Amino acid sequence: MSTVSTTRAPAGVGRTTDPRPRKSERRQVRERQWPAYVFLSPWMIGAVVLTLAPMAVSLYLSFTDYNLFDPPHWVGLRNYQEMLFEDPRYWRSVGTTMLYVVVAVPLKLGLALGVAMLLKSLGRGQGFYRSAFYGPSLLGASMSIALVWKALFNDGGTVPDVLDAVGIHAGGWVGNPDLAVYGVVLLTAWQFGAPMVIFLAGLQQISPDLYEAAALDGAGRWRQFVSITVPMLSPVVFFNLVLEVINSFQVFTPAFAISGGDGGPADSTMFYTLYLYERGFTASHMGYAAAMAWLLLIAIGAITLILFRTSRSWVFYADEEGR
Amino acid sequence: MNIATKRWLPHTVAAVCLLVLLYPLAWLLATSLKPADEVVTSLDLLPSHLEWSNYTTALDGVSGVTVTRLLGNTLLIAGGAVVGNVLSCSLAAYAFARLRFRMSKVMFAFMVATLMLPHHVVLIPQYIIFNRLGLVDSFWPLILPKFLATEAFFVFLIVQFMRGLPRELEESARIDGCGPFRAYWSITLPLARPALITTAIFTFIWTWNDFFTQMIYLFAPEKFTITLALRSFVDQSSTSAYGPMFAMSVISVLPIVLFFLVFQRYLVQGMATSGLKG
Amino acid sequence: MPEPPNGRLHHPSRRAVLAAAAVGLSTVLTSTLSGCSAASGSTSGGVTLTFSWWGNDDRAARTEKAVRLFEKEHPGVTVRTSNGEFTSYLQKLSTQAAGGGIPDVVQLDYRQVSQYAGGEAIMPLDDLVKARTIRTSEMDKGLLRTGTYQGGQYALPMGRGITGYAYDSAVYKKAGIPAPPPSWTWQDWGAANKKIAALGLKSPDGRPFTGSNDGGGNEDVFETWLRGRGGKLYAGQSELGFTEDDLTAFWSFCDSLRKDGAIAEARDTVQAKSTETSPIGRRLAAADFTWDAPFPGYTGLLGEDIHFAPVPTTGGHQGSYFKPSMLLGIGANSEHPEEAAQLIDFLLNDQRAGDILGFSRSTPPNRKIAARVAKTLQGPEREIYDYAQTMEKYGLDDPPTAPPPGDLAIQTAFKRGYQRVMYGMATPRQAARELIDEANRELRS
Repeated sequence: MSTVSTTRAPAGVGRTTDPRPRKSERRQVRERQWPAYVFLSPWMIGAVVLTLAPMAVSLYLSFTDYNLFDPPHWVGLRNYQEMLFEDPRYWRSVGTTMLYVVVAVPLKLGLALGVAMLLKSLGRGQGFYRSAFYGPSLLGASMSIALVWKALFNDGGTVPDVLDAVGIHAGGWVGNPDLAVYGVVLLTAWQFGAPMVIFLAGLQQISPDLYEAAALDGAGRWRQFVSITVPMLSPVVFFNLVLEVINSFQVFTPAFAISGGDGGPADSTMFYTLYLYERGFTASHMGYAAAMAWLLLIAIGAITLILFRTSRSWVFYADEEGR
Repeated sequence: MNIATKRWLPHTVAAVCLLVLLYPLAWLLATSLKPADEVVTSLDLLPSHLEWSNYTTALDGVSGVTVTRLLGNTLLIAGGAVVGNVLSCSLAAYAFARLRFRMSKVMFAFMVATLMLPHHVVLIPQYIIFNRLGLVDSFWPLILPKFLATEAFFVFLIVQFMRGLPRELEESARIDGCGPFRAYWSITLPLARPALITTAIFTFIWTWNDFFTQMIYLFAPEKFTITLALRSFVDQSSTSAYGPMFAMSVISVLPIVLFFLVFQRYLVQGMATSGLKG
Repeated sequence: MPEPPNGRLHHPSRRAVLAAAAVGLSTVLTSTLSGCSAASGSTSGGVTLTFSWWGNDDRAARTEKAVRLFEKEHPGVTVRTSNGEFTSYLQKLSTQAAGGGIPDVVQLDYRQVSQYAGGEAIMPLDDLVKARTIRTSEMDKGLLRTGTYQGGQYALPMGRGITGYAYDSAVYKKAGIPAPPPSWTWQDWGAANKKIAALGLKSPDGRPFTGSNDGGGNEDVFETWLRGRGGKLYAGQSELGFTEDDLTAFWSFCDSLRKDGAIAEARDTVQAKSTETSPIGRRLAAADFTWDAPFPGYTGLLGEDIHFAPVPTTGGHQGSYFKPSMLLGIGANSEHPEEAAQLIDFLLNDQRAGDILGFSRSTPPNRKIAARVAKTLQGPEREIYDYAQTMEKYGLDDPPTAPPPGDLAIQTAFKRGYQRVMYGMATPRQAARELIDEANRELRS
């Protein structure tokens, strides 16, 4: 970290007139350590008490049979074994979640980027649109939005009616196990406000000179997008991608609210965390749920790692050398 | 003509997209004013007449707790969370961005790693801790963690922002004998305002909408938040009063919308300057 | 925002910073946050009881009123109440149980009794009953038994409910079907549904109108069907009482009726979560399997033509039984079991409490109170009271003992299993086998 050299230099410079340089040097060293810990102490307490210790406890619980009532009872790897080899619903929930991540994340990011570029091209008057496009994201996946969503996608709702009018007779989505998951996908994609704002910020950081130079060279809109916007924006795309992938693996509230908590119809919106919740809270198998949580943690860690590894080949940092 | 089209086209596209995206909200608003028999069966967007009684019913609240009280509770929790997050996350971020200490790299990596932690992993043990402390069914489990910088996202955001700030000012202040706390409080914090405002806005919105944690920790109706009340509204009205329920939904989102409208101009600024390039 | 805690910096410790954070917090938040725990505690000499239940607004208002009356009669006792919606209430209670923080007086579902009693989350009430702190003399013995676990009385029924069938009498008249008597059979039911479907009526959104909702995914309906054939859901705390063949027969029966268009479509069945969203509530069907307590909601929504009939039988053998709609127990860690018992006794046996509570928790278990309150009943509430009388006269088998702890999970598995049948993802036999495997795993653990 560059912090090391820069903080030391001025300290030395500042004390050159000090008649007792050695003692002050020692004090300096002590001073450098403890204030940092004071600043960090709320975070450290939180990290130990509310993160590390609970993680350890839930790791322990994952090797037990724990129904919330009786004391946990050690069962070794049985939860993991049952999950991976005996429980068909576990793998179905993994599949549903993967499908969701693969469809929802690109859709949401695509919408966010498209709208961000549209907003940027507006120039003045952008502020109003920016707020308005953010509107849906404010509401979250609340009870009320879930009910609105159900009504809109149900038989006789606006969406099937509009599809009917253009010749797609799909019927209601909510009661159809093939379509229900896409209702949740669209709810997620609809709330693209946060990545949009981040994209917009990224777009505004790209110097207009670059576009002007490209235009002088005769590059068209598309060419400019491919050779300037995409590479310059790639760090922001990466940032959004990582955040959304991590969040999407943990998708809970929209499916919970729309299906009324049961992940239906016929498990078609039974995402990983929903199944985890069902095992833990409805069926009181906390040990099993803890094991599921730990596998999720490991999977998310692995996927993030892969994303970071691949990012080297496609994320372009203009200030590679550092600030 | 070409130039006219150029200015006109994006606005049209934006307006059309907006109409589609805001349709569900228009539907919500319209439904909140529909008479009871039209809510479930009628397919028209607009109500046949405006049923304001949906709102007066909604204002009575749930289980004898008025909407004013529910909004007050939610505001208290969200306000506490905002103060907690801004304070604790900026303290931690300052240490990570500016100070030297042993294991700083390890701690920073751990902090970033907790970004990925599914909160289900820590849910039950956390509940047991708060229960042992006798804090369940109070607002503390919802607010205290914010004062302990448990939301790594914001620590990370502010760290990135602070790293992008010029050091010179702070360094000259340090040379003048200004301690790290003065430097943090009077130099870095004011400069980091956009990131702090971003933190505040997101914390407010997320806390306001965080149904899950509220559901787990709050029991007594007089401590309910507006979101919880909405949920029990759906289930408790045995002949579910959908009109008033949608009216209450509208009431429940109004404060977020207002909050957002007031602060939204800081949002992009905060994001833009947060040095998101990693 | 308060200044950072400079004064403490020379002796930094985690506790100091936590304290500082707490000080900062308390300047922002006011007294509302005073750490109230879920468990009981004494406040300045008096006794504070906590009491939680689930239910709708009407029940909440009546319960509050009864509780205030109790407080007036027991100076020094304060009751802090808390209520919620059923599913979140169950989950909340199980997390409270995990932390040992169950309220003093707690309303329980039938399915929770054995789990909470077995897990020592609620205390045995036998001594309190013996001392007549809680009087049970006016209660039906069979109903009382529903609150027992391994021979001990752990909970007391607070209301007596029974399954039934809400149907639209106008449609039945139009189809030429007489009002269903207590002895009508599942074959009669199937035939009635076919007749109604054959009328060719349309729902408001132009879809075919059917005879009934599809009870295939409803464990309560299956249990009634099974008991009508002399079977039972559970043979013990860890053993199912039915076979793959039983379930296959039931699911095939419902499945074929649905395929014939006689009962509601799959997509409408999966969305039915309340009276409004049920097929009858959406005017897609003429009837709905339900309980007596929610019945008044049907007439409220759909009008006076809706009446309450018995669930069909097998050869006249009724499978319905009086079930505790909810029970009351005392938290195992309660510091004031005596006062808690007094509150329970008041709610169950005090005439004035009975008048206030009415039928908000189905028929009161105390016979005298039930008869007294029944005199004041009108309309649909009168109808369900009369229905219960009729069924009692017709003759019902004793209720089973409380279902095992795994039943909550099995109930959802049951619903899901039938959904797989409805969507053609599994045959009735395959789904039945899956259900039984899953149920056995659940009961073993």
